[in-house]
Amino acid sequence: MSDQSGPLGAPVAGAGSTSGPRGSAMLVEQSGLAQRQGQARGLFGGIGSVVRVTHGTISRYFTSVLVAMIVVAVGLTLLQHGFTLMGNQVKNALVLGAIYALVAIGYTMVYGIIELINFAHGDVFTAAGFFAVFLSSTLHLDSLATGSFGGLLLALAIVFPLSMLAAGLTGVLIEFVAYRRLRDSPRLAPLITAIGVSFLIEGILLVLEGPDNVPTSQASWITGTAVKIGGVNILWTDVFVVGMALLLMFALGEFVRRTRLGKAMRSTAQDRTAALLCGININRTISATFFIGSALAAAGAVIYSINYGDLKWNIGFHLGIIAFTAAVLGGIGNIVGAGVGGFIIGVIYVFGGSLFGGEWSEALIFAVLVLILTFRPVGLFGVEVTTRA
Amino acid sequence: MRDKLASFFRSDPGPGKRADGTTVYWIIASTASALLLMGWLLPWFVNDYSAGAGYSPQDALVSPPTGIGTFLIYILAVTMLVIVLSPLVEAIARSRGRPLGPRADRVRLIAALVGFALTVVVWFLVSIIQEEPLFGPFVSGTYTDSAVWLTMYAYALAALAYGARRWVVGRQTLAFSVAALPFGIFLPLMFHQAPVFLIWAAGSLAIYMLLALGLNVVVGFAGLLDLGYAAFFAIGAYACASFASPVHNIHLPLWVLIFLGAAIASMFGAVLGAPTLRLRGDYLAIVTLGFGEIIPDLATNNALNLTGGANGLSGIDQPHLGPFDFSLSPRWYYWSLLIVVIAVIVLLRNIERSRVGRAWVALREDEVAAAATGINTTTTKLLAFAIGASVSGFAGAFYGSLVTIVSPDDFSFSVSIAVLSIIVLGGIGNITGVILGSFILTFVIFWVLPNMNEWSATLSQTVHVPAIANINLSNYTYIIYGVALIMMMLLRPGGLLPSRARRIELESAVEGESLAAVQGVA
Repeated sequence: MSDQSGPLGAPVAGAGSTSGPRGSAMLVEQSGLAQRQGQARGLFGGIGSVVRVTHGTISRYFTSVLVAMIVVAVGLTLLQHGFTLMGNQVKNALVLGAIYALVAIGYTMVYGIIELINFAHGDVFTAAGFFAVFLSSTLHLDSLATGSFGGLLLALAIVFPLSMLAAGLTGVLIEFVAYRRLRDSPRLAPLITAIGVSFLIEGILLVLEGPDNVPTSQASWITGTAVKIGGVNILWTDVFVVGMALLLMFALGEFVRRTRLGKAMRSTAQDRTAALLCGININRTISATFFIGSALAAAGAVIYSINYGDLKWNIGFHLGIIAFTAAVLGGIGNIVGAGVGGFIIGVIYVFGGSLFGGEWSEALIFAVLVLILTFRPVGLFGVEVTTRA
Repeated sequence: MRDKLASFFRSDPGPGKRADGTTVYWIIASTASALLLMGWLLPWFVNDYSAGAGYSPQDALVSPPTGIGTFLIYILAVTMLVIVLSPLVEAIARSRGRPLGPRADRVRLIAALVGFALTVVVWFLVSIIQEEPLFGPFVSGTYTDSAVWLTMYAYALAALAYGARRWVVGRQTLAFSVAALPFGIFLPLMFHQAPVFLIWAAGSLAIYMLLALGLNVVVGFAGLLDLGYAAFFAIGAYACASFASPVHNIHLPLWVLIFLGAAIASMFGAVLGAPTLRLRGDYLAIVTLGFGEIIPDLATNNALNLTGGANGLSGIDQPHLGPFDFSLSPRWYYWSLLIVVIAVIVLLRNIERSRVGRAWVALREDEVAAAATGINTTTTKLLAFAIGASVSGFAGAFYGSLVTIVSPDDFSFSVSIAVLSIIVLGGIGNITGVILGSFILTFVIFWVLPNMNEWSATLSQTVHVPAIANINLSNYTYIIYGVALIMMMLLRPGGLLPSRARRIELESAVEGESLAAVQGVA
């Protein structure tokens, strides 16, 4: 996880633009603008320069500010509620963060390669979760999984690949039907179809599964406490969730870094035209990206259903916005960044909730998104050329 | 400063173009006529009505018309709809590159005949569903009594539409339209027993129309995707609820509140847009999406003890305007909304053709090139976003006052998507298209889908196929929105009535595609 360059990280710069790299880095341009305004008006000029200096300072130390705020939040929780609750919250944050990370990776990969916010991604997550539940009830996996450890492994070995495959194919289908033909249209068009696909999937799930929470039997698959640290029960589920997420992310990193297809993805993200000239099959590479992203979301969904034990037709929507925030936090287009961002967002969500009250959690995440876009639009691990005005 | 303001509000077609007001006048005329008609026609489509509290009983017409009366009214209704909307037929013909010209009258005649045929079919179906004889006795009731009046009214409207349209083209029709104007406007007031609940329905249609017009500024003119438009609507409505109700014991008049709501909403828009609009448009989509989710959530959680939680705020004042008491009849809402919609259309149409509007087009087409010609990209985009938000807040304040109770459920994400679907369906960036889209979609969503169950039940009884009764389409709203958005974008990205700029753009995109293929850009 220490690789800072990020497999799809740097390439985002000129992706999709046929006119080569546009030299103007966002931050440079913006300070120039502030300067112009500053010279033009007296009073506003003064305010403008103060704003500029403050803005610049926060931008430069954004990572430190964020880390400091998280440390303060954790510290406050420790002081107010004691070690046990703090420890439990850390555990919850990591579990939630693992799921966010898996979903965020799908967003970041798709954005990295075709510069599209795939709004349907969160709903692919939900659909995959319901598919996994359907699988385990059709194949009677519950009794198998709860019977013995070998049975559990077998059940997992059935559910994970199958639902990942199904979700991956769904992702490929969505790209083929809804996005591929619009790849050269004005930017608005694919965004609108993306939101349309999202609504379509949600609508289908609503009709199939009803408007209420659907309890899933997979919650009983993994039981028992792994370790107990000073009153904090770390369950086997928690270990499983975080371990599985890390394993999948590591596998993905290796895949993108070492295989031919991974290399094709990186070069397509960097410059689609040049990649085409090098003989890379662009369509296949983009399909593969959608497949992998959706498959990871499916893995996240199975983990979610095992850990939390219920699903709802629209959970993917909120989760998608939060995961996208994680992807932006990590630097959009950067896979490692998305992974780390997922965990950070998990921490912010859980501790924000314990400090300000649960109803503020999502508002807080949203505030974080706006703050990132204000002060550090390239994310924590992004390179400064990732965004252009 | 004065020039700037003037150019903002006055239509400025740009160098080398004739400054005629034809289009805007006929947009206004057909919208006004269509809205008026909606207020009058809808009653015959709705079967049940329970009078709302505060409305006088004589305002409610409970039973639908039957028999020959229905038939007569359907004929009149559809025929005059066709006549009034025939400028639309011409617009479609023009948009397909084949203006009607001398064929216009014949086309209008054919359209009227088709309308008549449709009427017969509808009448037939309705009498089957209502299980009434095709040629029943002439029921002497309110509707049939007013049928004659309605005819005159319809032709007055048609004259109004034509007259206004020809206002600048040919002076000879001026007198006619001037004569028709008061007739058309004041006629409905003569009917004491106006179908109030349907004026009400037309009022909510007008609200959606306002929302679509406002979102069209953001999405259509400036090319930015705003997915949290309902949030600004909510802000306007909650502003209205807070400042004109017993909740905080503040009672401001609605006429102040609509502007206050607009101001607050545009302030939120500016705060939200300022950090985001410096970046690429995609970020705006996700930020507004988040904002649209957060606002109803916060309202539900009663985050600052201002919003009344899931129950919302109730008891919102209904205004007076001189002798007109809005609390007695929603008819006044209908009239004021009608005026507001027309005013907003004029305003937006002029903004579109002003310097700012052209800057939006330039930005939408190529941001780098626009910046190079000296357009301040951030400010221009922010202006579009804030104007869009203010129209939404404006509509929200009206909505709050109209329904007298606001709750978080009214502002969910599906409202934003409904408005987006309206403009995508009608034609992104084209005011006429947007109005058409709001007619179609509000009709489907608020009338067809909710009534679907009842109809399928009746139909299955009539034709003795029990399976039909199980069709329940009210759950399918999401799927309908989704499919509409995808299909429109894939098959007819310009919408039903594409704007001229968009059409040219799409045509050149096709050429660009072949160029891209030659260059090998996938």
